[in-house]
Amino acid sequence: MSFREKSAWITLVTVLLSFGVYFGAIVTGRISGHGLSSLHLMLACVIALVVLQAVLGRVAAATTPKAERAMRDERETLIQWRSRSLGYYVLVVLVIGLFIPVHLGHDVFDLANFVLLDVVIATLVVAVAQIVMFRRGA
Amino acid sequence: MAPKLPIANQIRRLRFERGEMTQSDLAEKIGMTRQTVAAIEAGKYSPSLEAAFRIAHVFGVGVDEVFQWTD
Repeated sequence: MSFREKSAWITLVTVLLSFGVYFGAIVTGRISGHGLSSLHLMLACVIALVVLQAVLGRVAAATTPKAERAMRDERETLIQWRSRSLGYYVLVVLVIGLFIPVHLGHDVFDLANFVLLDVVIATLVVAVAQIVMFRRGA
Repeated sequence: MAPKLPIANQIRRLRFERGEMTQSDLAEKIGMTRQTVAAIEAGKYSPSLEAAFRIAHVFGVGVDEVFQWTD
């Protein structure tokens, strides 16, 4: 597995874990999405995300030959460009879809969470698209 | 599964004719990852013109000896 594919897996797993905890807590009602408690949990999840990515990134680097992680070759650049392009379109559609909660009268805290959810979904789409393209060849 | 491209290549044969050069060796010589060389060799990824010339240069042959259009 190439270093870039490992990085895509790390992004997928860490984002799923950290924001899964955050949105899981809100959806199940363990915390309110409107107060400081949700903000504190979100900050904790973001810190956990950064730490997890840093640790797993080091593990991925240690298990990959130096020559393979030194630079991004043309196929990897193409995969990155295609996946980010797909993620951008997904993000645009999701952001346009925010008119629905606005129309339904959700407050600013809910909207902030919906925006965050849109970014998380777009990030997951980019990571999954990269993994699929790496697995397929291009 | 990525669709097979209409471009055949002789990279595998040329590698073995050059003292069983590994995909990693070739990748290092042309500045790419082993996975990209494997994808090119399997016909799943079509390299840029520059990369095609780099591969041909490593084997000391013309590009047309490495890649062929199969219509």
